[in-house]
Amino acid sequence: MSNVTLPSAAAPRTFRSSFFRAMRNAPGPTFSALVILALALYAVIVPMFAVNPFELSGMSVLDAFTPPFWMADANPDFPLGADDQGRNLLTAMAYGLRTSIIVGMLSVLIGLVVGGTLGLVAGFVGGRIDALIMRFADVQLAYPALLLAMIIDGASRAVLGNERSAGTAITIVVVSIGIAFWVQYARTIRSSVMIERDQDYVSAARITGRSNIGIIFLHILPNVMAPVLVIATINLGIAIITEATLSFLGIGIPITSPSLGTLIRNGNNFLQSGEWWISIWPCLILVFFVVAVNVLGDHLRDIYNPRLRLRS
Amino acid sequence: MSMPLLEVKDLTVTLSRQDRQIMALDNVSFSIKPGEVLGIVGESGAGKSITGAAIINLLVPPLRRTSGIITLAGERLDTLSPRALRSVRGGRIGFVFQDPMTSLNPVITIGRQLIDTIRTHLRLGRDQARRKAIDWLDRVGLPNPDLTLDRYPHQLSGGMRQRVVIALALCADPVLLIADEPTTALDVSVQAHILQLLRDLHRESGTSMLLITHDLGVIAKMADTVAVFYAGRVAEISPVKELFTRPRHPYTEGLIRATPALTAAGEIQLNPIAGAMPGLGALPNGCGFNPRCPKAQDDCRTIVPPLTQQDLSAFACFHPLERSLVQ
Amino acid sequence: MKKAPDILVLDEVSKVYHGQQGMLERLRGGPSSDTRAVSNVSLVIRHGETVGLVGESGCGKSTLARLVSGLIKPTSGSINFRSVALPGHPPRLQMIFQDPFSSLNGRWKIADAIAEPIVVHKLRKGRAAIRARVDELLNLVGLSSADGEKYPQEFSGGQRQRICIARALAGEPEFLILDEPTSALDVSVQAQILNLLRDLQKNLNLTSLFITHNLPVVRIMADRIGVMYLGELVEEAACEELFVNPRHPYTRMLIDAAPNMDVDDRSLHPIMGELPSPASPPQGCRFSSRCPFVKNLCRAEAPPKRRTEKGGMFRCHFEPDLTQMPSIADKKGAAQHA
Repeated sequence: MSNVTLPSAAAPRTFRSSFFRAMRNAPGPTFSALVILALALYAVIVPMFAVNPFELSGMSVLDAFTPPFWMADANPDFPLGADDQGRNLLTAMAYGLRTSIIVGMLSVLIGLVVGGTLGLVAGFVGGRIDALIMRFADVQLAYPALLLAMIIDGASRAVLGNERSAGTAITIVVVSIGIAFWVQYARTIRSSVMIERDQDYVSAARITGRSNIGIIFLHILPNVMAPVLVIATINLGIAIITEATLSFLGIGIPITSPSLGTLIRNGNNFLQSGEWWISIWPCLILVFFVVAVNVLGDHLRDIYNPRLRLRS
Repeated sequence: MSMPLLEVKDLTVTLSRQDRQIMALDNVSFSIKPGEVLGIVGESGAGKSITGAAIINLLVPPLRRTSGIITLAGERLDTLSPRALRSVRGGRIGFVFQDPMTSLNPVITIGRQLIDTIRTHLRLGRDQARRKAIDWLDRVGLPNPDLTLDRYPHQLSGGMRQRVVIALALCADPVLLIADEPTTALDVSVQAHILQLLRDLHRESGTSMLLITHDLGVIAKMADTVAVFYAGRVAEISPVKELFTRPRHPYTEGLIRATPALTAAGEIQLNPIAGAMPGLGALPNGCGFNPRCPKAQDDCRTIVPPLTQQDLSAFACFHPLERSLVQ
Repeated sequence: MKKAPDILVLDEVSKVYHGQQGMLERLRGGPSSDTRAVSNVSLVIRHGETVGLVGESGCGKSTLARLVSGLIKPTSGSINFRSVALPGHPPRLQMIFQDPFSSLNGRWKIADAIAEPIVVHKLRKGRAAIRARVDELLNLVGLSSADGEKYPQEFSGGQRQRICIARALAGEPEFLILDEPTSALDVSVQAQILNLLRDLQKNLNLTSLFITHNLPVVRIMADRIGVMYLGELVEEAACEELFVNPRHPYTRMLIDAAPNMDVDDRSLHPIMGELPSPASPPQGCRFSSRCPFVKNLCRAEAPPKRRTEKGGMFRCHFEPDLTQMPSIADKKGAAQHA
C-alpha cells in the first residue's frame, strides 16, 4: 500500500540500539549470545589457571584414557576424562577452543580487510578496475573454500618445508582461511557501495567539494558496514569449521597443538576402541559454538535486511 | 434518491505493530450511487488506498479490517467467504492500480491475461473470449489490438500498459471500478489521455467509479462527489462543485488554497497549511486536524467531530466554514 | 535597467548515453542504442535570476541539472560559470534533490550534515562559530537548534527538505540547483517549502535553476522558463510571457494538459499520441509525431531556433496560431498516432 506511512522508530538507526531492541524480542538469538559468551569465557578463563595439557607438564601417561566422571574408574581431577596422553579434556578443550576462536576471528579479519578494501575500490571506482577485481573473484569462487585453503597450505609447505613451528602453521591456516573468504565480503561491500555511491547525499557532498577519500570514509563506509558485520558473524562459524576440518585432515594446526580440530582428530583414533569421550566432547563444543554463532548471524541478517524488517 | 450501489459503513482498519493496535481507518462511511464517480482525495497516509483495498479485502497484514459493513448492490461483501470474494474481485468490481507494471504479469502475454480474466468471470468459450479481448483492447485505444494480444507488458509504454490494465479491470463488465491513483505514475500528457478514456468508458457502460487520488485537479475534472480524507477519517463529503466553491471543512479549504493553480495570473499567493499530517498512531485527541487548524477550539481538541449533513455537504467539523472560495 | 552579469552560460551542451548492449544483441549486430539525453541546449542564467526548466519524464531536465552541477560531464558543448563575487573562480554550487529520504546521510546528525559545506569550504572557523551558524540556518528554515542533535530518521519529508535547504544555504552558494524539490511532498507541505524558497530567493538574491514537471509550481518560482522535450530545449521565455503567449505547440499543449481545479469547465486536453522513447526520437522535429500542426517539412528537418520580439526562443519551422488548437476529441485517432 503506497499510502501507509509506518511510524519511524524514534531512536537513530545505530548498531547498538537496534541490537538490544532485537535481543529483547528474540529469545533464540539471546540464548545463542549467552552460549557464545559462556564458551568464550571458558576459553579465556580456564587457560589462565590450568596448565597447558599440550606441554609436557600437562600430560600424565598414568591417567591416559580416564573416562568422564560418571563412569567407573573416573578420576575427579578429570571430570570430562582424559585422552591417550593423559591430557585433561576439560582444560585441553579450553585451549583448543581458544585457538579455534582466535584462528576464526583473525581469518575473518583478514578476509574482511582484503575483501572489504577490494570491494570498496571495485564499487566506488567501477569500470575496468571493477571488472578486473570481480572477474578474479569469480575465478576464485570456482574453487571450494576448503580446497583453496588446502592449496595455499600446500604451497606454503612447498616453500617452507614440512617442518614448521606451531606458530607458523597457525599463521598459514589463518591466512588461507581468510583468503578463501574474501570474495563474499568484496561482493557484499561492492554492491552496497554501488547503491550508496548514487544516493543523493553522496552527490550533495560531491557538489559541496568533498574529496573521494572523504566521501568514502565519512559517508559510504558507515552506511555499508552493517551487512558486512552480519556476514562476518556467520563467517566466524564457517571459519572455525574450516579450521577444524583442515586440522582434522592433518593439514592445519599440527596435532601437537590444541585446537578443536586436532582434538577431534586425535580422539577419532580411539572411537572404535570405546574411548568415545576424547572426540565427542570437542565435537559437541564445536557444534554448540558454531550453531550459536550462526543463529546469531542469521538474526542479525534479518535485522539488517530492510525488506524483511518492513514485513515484521 | 436511488439506492446506493456501494455502501461502506463504519469501516475501521487497524495496523498491528508489536504490542499495539494503530487505527489506519477510523469509522469511515460513504456510499456510491449507480453511475456515480466518487473521488477520494487526501495526502499520503490519509487512508485512501487502504479504503480501496479494504472494500474487496485486499489488505495485507499487519493491516486488518476490524469492523465495518460493506454492501454492494444489497449484498454484504464483508461477510463473504474468500472464495466468493475472489469472484467479486475482477468480476463485479474492477481494480486499476497506480503502477501498471506491477498489476500486469510480466511473463504472460497481454492476450492471455485478458482472456483468462474474461473466462474466469464470464463463462465464455475460448474464441468468444478472444474476440471480446480484442474488442476491449480496441475500446481502450490500443492500436492493432490483434497484434497487441501477443505482446508482453514490457513491450508497451507506460500509458499503453495502463490502458491494458483498464481493459483488464473492465472486461468482465463490473458494476464498480476502483481506480487507485490511476494516473499518478504517468506523465502529464499521457495522464489526460487515461482520464479521458476512463471518463468515456464510464459514460458508455454506466459503471460506478471510486477514484482515489491526491490530485485535486483530477478530482475537479472527474468526480461527481468527493470524499476528503484526513488521517484515516472522512473530513468532508460534498458534490464536486460545492467542494471547490464552498468547502466546509477547514482542511478542504486549506488543501485547495495550498495547491498551486495555473488559472490565476500575476503574483500567486500560496497558502500552506502549517505543520504536517500526523503519522499513524500519532493522532491527537479530538479532531485529527486540530493542531493545524486556524479555527480549532477546545471542543476540537477533546471530541472527535461526527460527520454531519448540512445542505449538500457532510463534514466532520464543529466550526465549519461559511464563506465561498472565489474560483 | 542594467543587465545583470551572466553567471552560467550553457553553449550547445549535449549528453549522450551509450546504451549497454547485451552480448546477444552485439552478436546479432543490432543498432547501437545511443540516447541523446540532452541535445544541443544553450541557456544563459544571469545573476539573481531563477530559471525554471519544465518537461515530462525523459526530456533531459534532470540530466541537465546534473550536468550543471558537475556530477556528470557533457559529451559535447561547454558549461561556463562566472563568479560575480570572486571573478575568475567558479562560483560555489549547491543542489537540492527530489528525494528528501536519500539526500541526507542516515548516520549523520542534522547539525553535522548542515555543517559539512561550512567545514569543506572553511566558511567559519572554530567549533562554536560553526555551531552558531548551523543554529542560525536551522532557524532560517523554520526548525529549532535542538533539531540539530537529531538524526534524519526522526523527521518527515517536508522537514528533511528544510534541512536540505539549510545545508545548501550553509555553503553560501552563488548558484543553487533545485531538482524537483517538492515533487515528493504532499500539497500542503509543498506550499510551505515553496514559500520558504521564495522568501530565500528574495532575501538572499539567489541565482538558481529550478527543475520540475509541475507547471503551476514553476510559474510561482521562476523568472524565466525553459521547456524541454526529448532532450531539446523547445522554448524559452519570461515566465508570464510563456504562460500567456506560448509560441511552441508543445508548450501550449502542456499547459492545457494538466487538469486544473476549474469545476465549471471539465474538459480534458490530452496531447495526442504517446511520449516517444528518448532512445528513438522522431526524425526532424522531435515533436512532429504529436504535433497537430505537423507538415512534411517537420518530419524531414530539425526546426531552427527562432527568436521572439520579447527575447524568448522557440524551435519550430512555423509560427502556428496557437489560439486555434485543433481539438483531438477522437480518442481512437489520437491513439493511432502512437
